[in-house]
Order: sequence, then structure tokens, then C-alpha cells
Amino acid sequence: MFQARINLRAAAVVQRILWVALMIGVALWTGAAAAQSAAQRAVDAAKKGCAGKTITIVWEAGLQSLDPLNYSGPKWEQLTGCKVKVVEVPTAEMFTKIMQEYRAGTGAYDALNVVPAWMPDLVQAGALEVLDPYVDKNGFRDELQKIAPTYRDNQMKVNGKIYGFPDDGDVFLFYYRKDIFARADLQKAFKDKYKYDLAPPKTWKQFDEIGSFLTDALKGEGVYGASFFREPTYAELMFQERFRNEGGKFFDAQSMKATVNSATGVRVLTEMRNENRFMPPGVEKFGFVENLAVFLDGKSAMTISWPPYGRFAAGYLANEKALDWVPKSKIAGKVGYALPPGGHPQLALGFALSVASTSKQKDLAYLFIQWLNSEEVSTERVQLPYALRDPFRDSHFTNKDYMAKWPDAKDYLAALGEGAKTGLLDLSLIQTDKYEEALRQAMSKLWAGGDPKGILDDVAKQWDDITQRVGVDKQKAVYTGWAAKSGAYPSSSK
Amino acid sequence: MSAFHVRRRRVAVVWRTLAAIALTVFFLFPIYWLFMISFKTAEEIFAFPPRWWPSRLQFDNYAVLFKDGDATTVWNSLVIASASTVLAMVLGTLCAYSLARFRTGGEHLSNWIISQRMVPPIAVVFPIFLIYVLFGWVDTYLGLILLYTAFNLPYVIWMMRGYILDIPISLEEAARVDGCTRWQVLWKVVFPMARAGLFATAILTFVFAWNEFLFALVLTRTEVTTYTVQVTHYFGGQSGFWAKISAMSVLGTLPIFVVVAFMQRYLVRGISLGAVKG
Amino acid sequence: MGRQIGRLSELLEVRVGSAGSLVAPRARPRERGFRLALVAPSIGVLLLFGVFPLVYLIVVSVQNITMTDVDQSFQGLLNYRLLAGDPRFWGALLHTAIFTAVALPLELVLGLAMAELFIKHVPGRTVFVALLVLPVVVSPIVAGTTWSLMFDNRFGPINQVLGWLAGGPVAILWTIRPDLVYGAILVAEVWQWTPFMFLLLLAALSGVDKSQLEAAAIDGAGYWRTFRTIVLPAIWPVMVVAILIRALDLVRLFDVVWALTKGGPGTMTETLSIFTYVKGFQQFETSYTAAMALLVIVLLSVAVFAALKRVELAR
Repeated sequence: MFQARINLRAAAVVQRILWVALMIGVALWTGAAAAQSAAQRAVDAAKKGCAGKTITIVWEAGLQSLDPLNYSGPKWEQLTGCKVKVVEVPTAEMFTKIMQEYRAGTGAYDALNVVPAWMPDLVQAGALEVLDPYVDKNGFRDELQKIAPTYRDNQMKVNGKIYGFPDDGDVFLFYYRKDIFARADLQKAFKDKYKYDLAPPKTWKQFDEIGSFLTDALKGEGVYGASFFREPTYAELMFQERFRNEGGKFFDAQSMKATVNSATGVRVLTEMRNENRFMPPGVEKFGFVENLAVFLDGKSAMTISWPPYGRFAAGYLANEKALDWVPKSKIAGKVGYALPPGGHPQLALGFALSVASTSKQKDLAYLFIQWLNSEEVSTERVQLPYALRDPFRDSHFTNKDYMAKWPDAKDYLAALGEGAKTGLLDLSLIQTDKYEEALRQAMSKLWAGGDPKGILDDVAKQWDDITQRVGVDKQKAVYTGWAAKSGAYPSSSK
Repeated sequence: MSAFHVRRRRVAVVWRTLAAIALTVFFLFPIYWLFMISFKTAEEIFAFPPRWWPSRLQFDNYAVLFKDGDATTVWNSLVIASASTVLAMVLGTLCAYSLARFRTGGEHLSNWIISQRMVPPIAVVFPIFLIYVLFGWVDTYLGLILLYTAFNLPYVIWMMRGYILDIPISLEEAARVDGCTRWQVLWKVVFPMARAGLFATAILTFVFAWNEFLFALVLTRTEVTTYTVQVTHYFGGQSGFWAKISAMSVLGTLPIFVVVAFMQRYLVRGISLGAVKG
Repeated sequence: MGRQIGRLSELLEVRVGSAGSLVAPRARPRERGFRLALVAPSIGVLLLFGVFPLVYLIVVSVQNITMTDVDQSFQGLLNYRLLAGDPRFWGALLHTAIFTAVALPLELVLGLAMAELFIKHVPGRTVFVALLVLPVVVSPIVAGTTWSLMFDNRFGPINQVLGWLAGGPVAILWTIRPDLVYGAILVAEVWQWTPFMFLLLLAALSGVDKSQLEAAAIDGAGYWRTFRTIVLPAIWPVMVVAILIRALDLVRLFDVVWALTKGGPGTMTETLSIFTYVKGFQQFETSYTAAMALLVIVLLSVAVFAALKRVELAR
């Protein structure tokens, strides 16, 4: 009797142990499956279907396309057997080529790089494939969530559906010369004159004061307080940012009438024009590279630009062959990073990965972009020595390897991370390019000496005409959707 | 001739030479500036004040173009431009002869040929793209060769007609009397007499095909990218490969320079032969 | 219209003095075969590329295809009406006309002068001619960008040289100041295309009858008289064609302006081609640009014939 009871007990214990073991086993197994990353899943799925096929992807020509040409393309082929053909297209022609091939129904492109501001137009035209079914089938939603909020919430969806994966953390960052700001003589003179400490400006008023002060004080050294890329293509993006930071709204939400010519707008334009006086002569023509050259040469104390400036200024991998067009930095170690005055930087341009609706290999194309955009692979890609892809996932901003790349990289990533939280979207409506074109022309008229009020009144009139042509109700729906996004106006962002 | 005249002649030559040099400096300076950039480093390109010569001659920029395969686009341009020029010259000159001597097709044909040139390429590039998609000619040599031939034909026909009209018909009639067939007359009399015009037209036709951008942009993707399209790849929103732009331009200009240098010997010879007529 | 265009043929042929274009006597069948064989291949090629695009343009211009709508319903003259009422279109037309009217005479006169220079003996003529053709040979996009760099305030030599002459730094913004913008564009344009005229006219001058020139010299005729009575008639056919070709190309002016100003400031230097490019290639207003293209073709034809008629009357 006693024996039987012990046997029963033993059996129960063994059973329990087996049960626990089974549970642990199951947990481990499912855990392993879940821990198998999105990148790996993409690779595995692609391996099944690839066999000698080629994916064609459209990419911005030049430095950007070194990524798929030298790194991600060959790697993908090695892992899956799918070849990657990169069609390089000059930035200015990307939209054109994508639309033309789509309109002609060629099916020549499988995957695409698109600027998020183009997405409403491309979606309206039917050129982009809806990605939700693919995302769900491949369980990628979780990883998409880990993209930094502003990009994730604003550059992925149109009308609530996913059309692209944000893949580039483009943001306007404020760069300044720490060493100049730290000079005791300048600090004293500035405090005496303006009654507050010399520090990176928090408002545009402060910027104007600091800029003109520094230009005067450093005249003997040939250094200017600031320089910007004032060329209209870039200047209109800066206007979009500044106008909104100062409280401006593009349209009246009810009537859809343009309100870009408000008093705020006029003030912003006037200030921008006046600032040119303390910037290097000819600044109205500065593009990305000219402005970079001046800054790296140590000739300007403040500037605003995309993330690459930070890497170039630090001299990060300056000996890389692909970067030999970058002027050698004379200011490595002397650069500080901050958000532009107003605290809400423009998420200017950027890129998202999409699938062309006319592609004949949508599954394979999708798997490629999932792999590119995944945590591990994107982390590698934003650290490529010749990369123009900037950090865009939460994990990128806290990446230990990245932080070790140069002494101030930590601060750089912190600033980028901040920008990713408070950033402002490019205006994105139906026929966005027409609205932006009016702004570009306004900037060029401003530099030619036109009157700010007259110029903006003209822009407002053009905008209203465009809205009429598109259809007021249609545009209003799109605008309302855009304005509701967290990154549309400062008051609504986190 | 008297000594006075000889001296006046020499002075005139000196003046002409000086004028020639001045003109060459004006027309060549921007090209010099561009070519010089291909030897500069990034600092020198964006040096302020600008430097007028590179510190040393380094061919790295060119080496990169060859290594990356960008230089093959120059080869593509060469193939396409040469083939289309030959085709356009042959078809066009024959057509021009017919128009000049016999007014074949009368006004209507001339009208129509002329009107082809009035069509802005920018307006027809998309319908042509559609046709090419249908025929499978997108991103092929054949596609661009045919296109450039078609677009240069009106030019060749016009120009050659002008030059052929300059040739006295009596020479041709004499050859006919001597027993030449029509084709032989063309080959033995007309073409040699029109040599200067032939070469001038051929050079410029080649140049038009070589420098064409719009159609090449739309009708190529990766296989037959021409050098003009390749150069625009270097103009980025966040980069500026000035060294590549200029090195590529040098590479893209050298073949033509060679072609022109070679052909214009015949051109100049045609000038100095200067048809004694009558 | 057919009549008028035909005048061109007459014009070319009547002008040439002793050179012949006597229409041969009525052709025998084999003769006719020969003549047709000469033109047939050209016609074939031109047909392939000439017919469909034009038909496409006409059809599309009466539809309403935009970037987002492929609305192929018949819209009548909608796009043409929009075009007529679009001040930007008329502005583009005006700017293009200004560029053409100024650049063409400059290129012609300068090209002719250069041709006259080189037609006589110059030591090393071969080298000079080869070098002088280079501007035409450089890709227009690159040429435009090079001039943009040349005019650049900071990195270009022009302001630098002006600074030397003026004794102090000079910051002239050639491509931004409204009063200088046209000048800058014209300099770049004339620079690139004068060699084209030069080459054509050089070949044409080589066809001038030397014996006539010598006879005139013996008679003591001055330079201008010789030019007007002997040289001009001889080079006229080629010159007319050169002018026409260059004029038509100027109407399509794009690269140089785009590289220097992108049509700015505002739309001050926007040419027809730039306007078409922006509207058609960036904003995909397919029907609108088709209507514009057709309108331009018609306007061009009218302008060409009007000019030819005037030239013929003057003679």
C-alpha cells in the first residue's frame, strides 16, 4: 500500500517535471521562432522564390546608390540568390521616371525609393502597392512600430494604409561652432550688449542677434556668424519649417484658403532677407555643397542642414574614396549639435521604400524592402562609411557602435533623436510639387529684391488657384488628414 | 607683287592670328576651367578665392570612373552617335540630292520634312516611349540609334540640300555625257564636291546625337545609359561630385575632339581647294 | 500653308546664281525610280517617328489627363482655352522670343566674322578650328553648369577678375539680379553656339567662287560691295538654313537657362521648354502640355513663313 502511494507520488512528480519540461520546450521553440528576426524571415521566404530572378529597384543616383550597389544588393544576392538591379536616377528625375514607367505600364520597376511628400500623388495615381497584406503576412508590424515616432507616424501611410517604409532619417539639424561660442571675450561682449548668455539660439530673434554680433566681432578673422543654403530649392524647405515654428498655418482648415501670406509669413520672409546681410556674400546661391564647403572651412559659426553635415564635419571616415568630394573638415571636434530655433526641425525630404503597383514580382520586391528596413540590416546601413541614409529607428539613436565613431557622436545622435520626436513634415497634398514650386519661386523673387508682402500674396493666390483646379473638397480632405498628423504643426507634436 | 603688298599681307596675317588667339582664349576658357576641375581636390574646387590651376595633375578622378564602370557610358554614346550619324548622313544626303536636283515630292515633301524639326522633343518623348515599350526597344542600342537618326534627318537633308545646290549642275551633266550612271555621278562628282559640307554636317550631326539628353534619360534605364545622362547622376541634392562631373565631361569630350580634329582636315582641305568654278 | 512652305524651296533655288537646280526634263520610269529610291528610306524613318507622336498629341490635347486623373473623355478646346488664359504661358513665350531675337543675330554675326577670319590663311588654322568647335561639343547641361560656376560669386573666376579690375572684392550675383540675369544667360548661350554658325558658314564660304572674288578685287570693289554682291548670294542657301535651324533650337532653349537660373528669379527667365518641362515632367499635366506643344508648332510655322515672306519681299 505504502509502495503504491510512493509510486503514485513519484509518477505525479515525474509527470509534473515532464509537463514543465514540455512547457519550457514549447516556450523555447516558439521563442526561438519569434526571436527569428524579420530580416531572417524575409531571407528565408525569399530563398524559396528567388532562383535566378532579378529585382529592379529605383534609387537616388550618386552617393545614395552606393548602398545597394556595394552593400545591400550583393549581400541580398548572397543570402537569397535573388539578384538586385539598381536603376540609378538623378534626384530631380526620380518622380518623373517612376510616373512615366507607371503610366506606360512597363512593369520595369519592382521596388522604389520615394520621397514621402510624393506619396499622396503617387497613391492617387495608383503607382504604389498597398503593403498592409504583405506586412501582416510576414509579421513585420512590430518592427515597423520601432521606427522613430515622427517618421513612423507620418511617412508611412496614406489614407490609413501603409504604402512605404520610412528608411532615411532626414531632418534639419542646427550645427554650431562650440569653440566660438565658448570664447570668453565673445561671451562677455555679447552679454554686455544683449543681456543674455551667448548660447545656441532658441528663437529666431536670438539667432538674428547672435548672427549679426558674431559677424561683426569676427570680421577680422573672415568668419561669418552664419551661413545657410539659400538656394530656392532648399530655402523653401527652411521657410516651411520657420513659418510653422513661428505659429504660421498654411491653410485655413475650414475654407481651405491659403494663409501663407499672413503677418507671420511676411515677417519670416523679411527676417530671412535681412539675415543675408550678415552671411557670406552670394549666400543666395548656396546649395548643399557650397554651404558645406564654407562651414567645413571654418568660415561660418552656425548653419542648418541635413545629418550628413554632422558626420562630414567630424571628419568621420574622411578618407573613404566615395567621400573624396567632401572638402576636408577644419573643424573636427569643434561642432555642437542642437535643434534649430523654435525647436521643431523640418523633416526635409527623406526616403521611403515602396513596391511598384505594376511590378510582376511584388512578393520578392516586398521581401527585399522588408529586409532592408529591418532592425539589423538598417542599423548596418546607416553606419556605412559612404551612407547618406540617416538614423531613423529608435535603436539607431542609442546604438553603441555609432556612439563610438567620434568623440561627439553621442551628442549628435541625441540631437537627431530629439529631432525625430519634434520634427515637422514637409507639406504633402495632392500636387504638392505645384505648391512647393510657388514657394521656390517666391524665394528666388525675394533674393532678387522683391517685396515680401507682395510675394506672399502672389503665392497665396497661386495656391488658391491650384486648390481650385484640384478640387477644394478633395484637397481639403487630404489636407485635413495631413494636418492631423503629429508632425504637421508644432502644437500637435509630442 | 610689290614689296608693299607683301608686307601688307604679312601684317594682315599677324592681325588675323592675334584675333584667332583672342577668340580661342574666349571660347576655350570655360572649357579649360571645367577640365581643370577634374584634376583638383575638393578643397581646391571650393577654395576661396578660386584657384586657376590645380596644384598637381592627379588622375584619380579618371581612375575612379573606369573602375566604377561609369566610363562605359562614353562607349555607349560613341556607338549610338556614330551609328546614327552614318545612317542619317547616308539617308539624308541621298534624299537631299533628290530634293535639290529634281524637287521630288515637290512642296509637300519639303514641307513635311521641315515641319519635323518644329516639333519640340519634350512634347513627343512620352508617346515615343510608349511606342518603344510596344516594340521592346526601351534601353537598347537600336532604339536610340533609330531615334537619333530620325531626329537628325531633317537637319541633314536641309543642310546638304544647301550645299548641293552650290555645285554646278554642268559638272554632273558632263559626267553623264561621259557615260556615268546616276549613282556613279553621285559618287564621283557630287560627294567629292560637297565634301566640306558633308563633313561640317556630319560633325554637327554627331554632336547633336552625342549631347542629346532628354530622350536618353527617358528611353534608357541601365543597359545603354549615355554619358550625358551619366553626368547628371553626379548632381545630387546632398552631394556634388564636381570632380566626377568634370572628369566625365573630359572623357565625353575627348572622342569628339578626336573625331573633329580628324575630320576637319578634310573640311579645311575642302575650303582651300575652294572650287574654281565656272 | 503648303504654298508658303513651298516658297522656301523656291527661295533656296532661285537665289543660287549660276549653280544649278534646273529641273530635269520629265522623268522616265527608271529615272523616277531612282529619284524615289533616294528619298524613300528617309521618309520611312521619319514616318515612324513623325506620325504617331503627332496623332497622340492631338488626341491627348483634347482630353483631360493630369497627374492623378487619366480622364480620356473629350474635352474640346478646354486645354487651349486654359492655355490662352495662362499668363505664365505668355510670359514663357515672351522670354523665349527675347532670347531668340537677341542670341540669333549675335551668333550669326560673330560666326560669320569668325568664318571670314579663317577662310583666309591663318597659320595653324587646323588647330584653331578644331579647338573653336569645342564649346558646341560639350554637353549643354555641363556647359550651363560650368557657366553657373564661372558666374558664381564665391567660386567663379568672373567676379574674381572684376575684383582685380575694380581694386576690391566684387559680389555681383549674375544669376539672381533681375537686371543681369538675361545678360548672363545670353553670354553662356552665345558662347556655346557661335562655333556652330562658324563651322557651317566656314564650309559655305569655301563654296564661293574664287575667280569672281579676284575679278572684283581687280575692279577695285570694296569689302562690303564684294560681300553683298558675290559672297552673300553664294552662302545664302546655307545661311538661311543655319538661321532657321538655330532659331528653332533657340525656341527649345532649356539646358543653359535651367542650369543658371532654373527659370528664375520667379519665372522671369522661364522659357517655353522649361515651362513645358515643369508642367509635363514634374506635374504630369499631360493634356495641357500636349495642347501647348501643338500651339507652339502652329505658332512656329506661322512665324517661319511670315519671316520667309518678308525676306522674299525684301529681295
